[in-house]
Amino acid sequence: MSVTSPVSTTAVQATGIWKVFNEGQANEVTALQDINLTVAPGEFISLIGPSGCGKSTLLRVIADLTQPTKGSAEVAGMSAAEARKQQRYGMAFQQAALFDWRTVQRNVELPLELQGWSKSDRAARAMELLEMVQLADFASHRPWELSGGMQQRVAIARSLAVDPPLLLMDEPFGALDEMTRERMQNELLRIRQETGKSVIFVTHSIPEAVYLSDRVVVMSPRPGRITDIVSVSLGERDEDTREADAFYASVTEVREALRGRTSGGAARARVGEV
Amino acid sequence: MNGRLRAVWPPVIIAVIFLAAWQLLVVVQDIKPFLLPSPSLILGNFFGDFSLMFNAALYTGTTAILGLMFGTVVGLVTALIAQRFGVVNKLITPLAAGLATVPIIALTPILNNMFSITSRTPKVIITMIIVFFPIFVNVTRGLIQVQPVQLELMRSMNARPRTVLRQLRIPNAIPFFFTAMKIAAPLSVIAALVSEYFGGPQQGLGSRIASSAANTAYGRAWAYVVASIITGLIFYLIVLAVERWAAPWTGRARSA
Ligand SMILES: Nc1ncnc2c1ncn2[C@@H]1O[C@H](COP(=O)(O)OP(=O)(O)OP(=O)(O)O)[C@@H](O)[C@H]1O
Ligand SMILES: [Mg+2]
Repeated sequence: MSVTSPVSTTAVQATGIWKVFNEGQANEVTALQDINLTVAPGEFISLIGPSGCGKSTLLRVIADLTQPTKGSAEVAGMSAAEARKQQRYGMAFQQAALFDWRTVQRNVELPLELQGWSKSDRAARAMELLEMVQLADFASHRPWELSGGMQQRVAIARSLAVDPPLLLMDEPFGALDEMTRERMQNELLRIRQETGKSVIFVTHSIPEAVYLSDRVVVMSPRPGRITDIVSVSLGERDEDTREADAFYASVTEVREALRGRTSGGAARARVGEV
Repeated sequence: MNGRLRAVWPPVIIAVIFLAAWQLLVVVQDIKPFLLPSPSLILGNFFGDFSLMFNAALYTGTTAILGLMFGTVVGLVTALIAQRFGVVNKLITPLAAGLATVPIIALTPILNNMFSITSRTPKVIITMIIVFFPIFVNVTRGLIQVQPVQLELMRSMNARPRTVLRQLRIPNAIPFFFTAMKIAAPLSVIAALVSEYFGGPQQGLGSRIASSAANTAYGRAWAYVVASIITGLIFYLIVLAVERWAAPWTGRARSA
């Protein structure tokens, strides 16, 4: 079930990544300070932290949309740049970023078109994906005829189009209401289960991070850095997961980590005192 | 259909009331035609000399279409160059803004001297220059003002600049293009018409308005004005129809 890249046993490897904006100027910002992170194939990782702590920047470095000041990112055993060229990841943003001049189906086809797929292959693949996100009936609609949640599902279908082993998602459900959001979370987990992809998922919601993730990476701003990584072991998610004690325990753990009072860190400090 | 009818009726009713009031004013106050002819006199002239009106409109309309076509092509090409080379954009845009303040129409007599007296070319050139500005400025904006997230998406899919242009920038600029065309098309009629005031062939609307007024045929002068308005309106409506057909997504709420 787990999809492994033939050349690598890690989905993402971030090594000593620094990103400094406006270096040497008065408005210098250290968006990322010495980020080290390994994501295993098939693993679901969330990035959480206050606004401005560098979550998007980290995602963009991994996606090769921006260059790190120092350090390097590898995706599926190759450099981020090479991985982007080979479309080894799919990306989804807070905005669906659909093209109004294309139908829903042709929006999903876009990455395939850029890869030179034939028209009939494209159409078949797009319909398969639209069925997966339950929007097959809307294939010939225009993006503006869809609700925000539906548009986001189209964007997710598009990010899955070339069947990349990795999904990079920057607050994709940020603009959705709570009900839609929970439905989308389940849908994402189902898709991920069906496809065995690795996911790096940026969110501001602690319950969302816990519900979705194998590990929650907690970040803190100025300078942007990883302060804690919380492992979540809730097993198979279902309707009861959100009410389970283990779920609340993990939520609390992440919340405390965000406040800078990590249980592990506190314990270590106490050990140090004694 | 119902909605469209509802949108059409109010202006029609207002126009009828306006014309009736105008007619009433001219008759009751006994206003002389050289000041303001009555609508009935104008329309009488318009339909009475319809073939004259039509031929004049055809001449000026042809000038306008030629100028509009050339001006649009030059505007589009310049916009593409400006988008492709950022430096060019920084040079051209202020230049275009500066040139836009030059009363281009006033150059007509100079151009007239450069071509034969029967030539349509000076008027086409003037119209072309006037059409160029709105097209260039708007289309450049449309090519450049792409949502950053859409650009990132294209990059994440390893799209080459040429693909970004074709799949993102150009479609994005199409609503901007039609906005410009809705200004440029009626404007081309005005430019073609006004440039006729500065000499050259005498069969166009502008020349006819001037000569009718000079011959104290005020009703007919105004009838030519009506023909000019109709010509401009036809240009506008054609653009509107093409836009509906070619870019049905314009004017829609942007998807998030
Ligand atoms: N292009 C840029 N130029 C200068 N500074 C930038 C740029 N992009 C990001 N930054 C800065 O880097 C820091 C991290 O930004 P980033 O967008 O990664 O934060 P974030 O964690 O995604 O925040 P949010 O939760 O609000 O999305 C911020 O201080 C931001 O101001
Ligand atoms: Mg962000």
